[in-house]
Amino acid sequence: MANLELKARILIVFMLLLVLGSALYLLYARGAFESTQELVLVADDSEGVVVGMDMTFSGFPIGRVRRIELAGDGKARIVVDVASKDAHWLRTSSVFTLVKGLVGGPNIRAYSGILNDPPLPGGAVRNVLQGDTSAEIPKVIAAARDLLENLNTLTGASGPARGTLANLQTLTQRLNGPGGALAVLLGGDAEARKTTVTLDRANALLARLDGVVAKADAQVFGAKGVMPETRATVAQLNAMLGEARGSLRKVDAILVDAQVVASNAKDATTDLAALRSEVEASLRKVEGLITEINRKWPFARDSELKLP
Amino acid sequence: MTPTGAWHSRVTQSGAAAGHWLLEWWRMAYLGAILTVLAFSPSSYGRAARATLSRHVYLNTAPILPGFSLLCALVTVVLTRIVVVTAQSYGLSQYALQVVIRVLVLELIPIGAALFVALRCTIPDGVELSVLQAGGRLDDLRRQGSDPTRAEVLPRVVAGMFAGVTLAALSCVVALCVAYVAVYGFTASGLEGYTRLFGQVFSPPVTLIFTLKTLFFSLAVSLIPMASALYGQPARPGAGVRTSAEMRSLVRMFAVLLLIEVASLVGNYY
Repeated sequence: MANLELKARILIVFMLLLVLGSALYLLYARGAFESTQELVLVADDSEGVVVGMDMTFSGFPIGRVRRIELAGDGKARIVVDVASKDAHWLRTSSVFTLVKGLVGGPNIRAYSGILNDPPLPGGAVRNVLQGDTSAEIPKVIAAARDLLENLNTLTGASGPARGTLANLQTLTQRLNGPGGALAVLLGGDAEARKTTVTLDRANALLARLDGVVAKADAQVFGAKGVMPETRATVAQLNAMLGEARGSLRKVDAILVDAQVVASNAKDATTDLAALRSEVEASLRKVEGLITEINRKWPFARDSELKLP
Repeated sequence: MTPTGAWHSRVTQSGAAAGHWLLEWWRMAYLGAILTVLAFSPSSYGRAARATLSRHVYLNTAPILPGFSLLCALVTVVLTRIVVVTAQSYGLSQYALQVVIRVLVLELIPIGAALFVALRCTIPDGVELSVLQAGGRLDDLRRQGSDPTRAEVLPRVVAGMFAGVTLAALSCVVALCVAYVAVYGFTASGLEGYTRLFGQVFSPPVTLIFTLKTLFFSLAVSLIPMASALYGQPARPGAGVRTSAEMRSLVRMFAVLLLIEVASLVGNYY
């Protein structure tokens, strides 16, 4: 075959190029040609973190885990290579999380709230916040189990819900029964029947009361009823009151006279009081005089008792 | 025959079979060692040898390269579609491409390429070699002072290995490209994420195991048919097809491929 050696050489070169190209692509894909800056994330637990996994920012991979090592204090140090071209997304105030989902490995995520802060320096050491979805599952399941047990207790054969439903059913049956709602309210058909009878009697009574009221109306407001008589009496009373008012005016005049007499008597009483006080003063002087004479008299009685 | 005699006869037969089995494996290992030494010796690549080698390399590789690449592309499209659709239905689409790369590129394509090379090139080469030996061509070479291993076996083994590695490499590249197009379409916007994913799958241990696996696959499918052709005994009259040298070679080759695959799986996932 013509040019067989040349074709074979071309084939060999093609194979070598293929292998070499694949190797270079692999090195590029592994980040061998990109400049990076180091970031150390300190975590309590690095379970699930593998070398080569991504660290994402807003869903975009900006770094990859290069090494995981155990620090002297027992914590895991996750060394991440952050591509230099993406390092500006990380600031001194950035927060890093290690979140484990239900499926797949954990995810390392970076959050930068304030992009005006100074950039994160190379070799920075940051604590990583950890969240574990699967760790929450047992708690949720325990709570759900409690809830289901409570529900079972409520709806069980001897549970309150079942009793309530049975009572409700009885109530409905009785509502549909002959006594209806009245029997339910009063507790039995006999009571309901009594109430019905009572109502009938009340109706009859009301009918009779109607008659009574009509008669009373005639008695009170009729032509010769109580009210016209009362009106005449009131008129007579008014006349009598006018007479009484005249009598009272006369009594008033008498009372004015009596008041004048009383004031005269009061003045006389005031003069008598002054006279009495003068008499009392004279008596007090006489008494003082007698006391003085008794003291100065030589045979004055010794009123002092002397003890032996 | 007494029971003791029957037992003795059975033990003797088993021992002979085991010895024969060991001898065959030893011969194959020995041939492999000789061929490795010859392959790295510059003296093996004289002008005449180069011409022979070129012919074998080209004829073993070029005719099957487009067909196998096309087959790989088709399988990749179908498998990628199945995996992506299934993953999407379970809400796990972020893992679909990784699964495709792992299953196709890491596992299926190397063994597929090796089997394709075995069926299309190395087994026919082995038959050709056994015909040469049966025709006395190899003895003629020995009489002429030439080494038949270097003249006839080495070019075939090297060509088989070359074909295996080339097919695997090209098919992997084709599968990666087709998987990308099947998922992202004809756009370059997903290239960065795809490259990153590729880098994550091909960690250094996985890459090493993949390379070694491809090389050992190629070596196994190239060497075993040649060893069987050189050292295999013709089937005894009346022994049936099951004991023929070709059949034993085929079984041995599949067993070795299986062992390499299992070892690679253990290395990758344990």
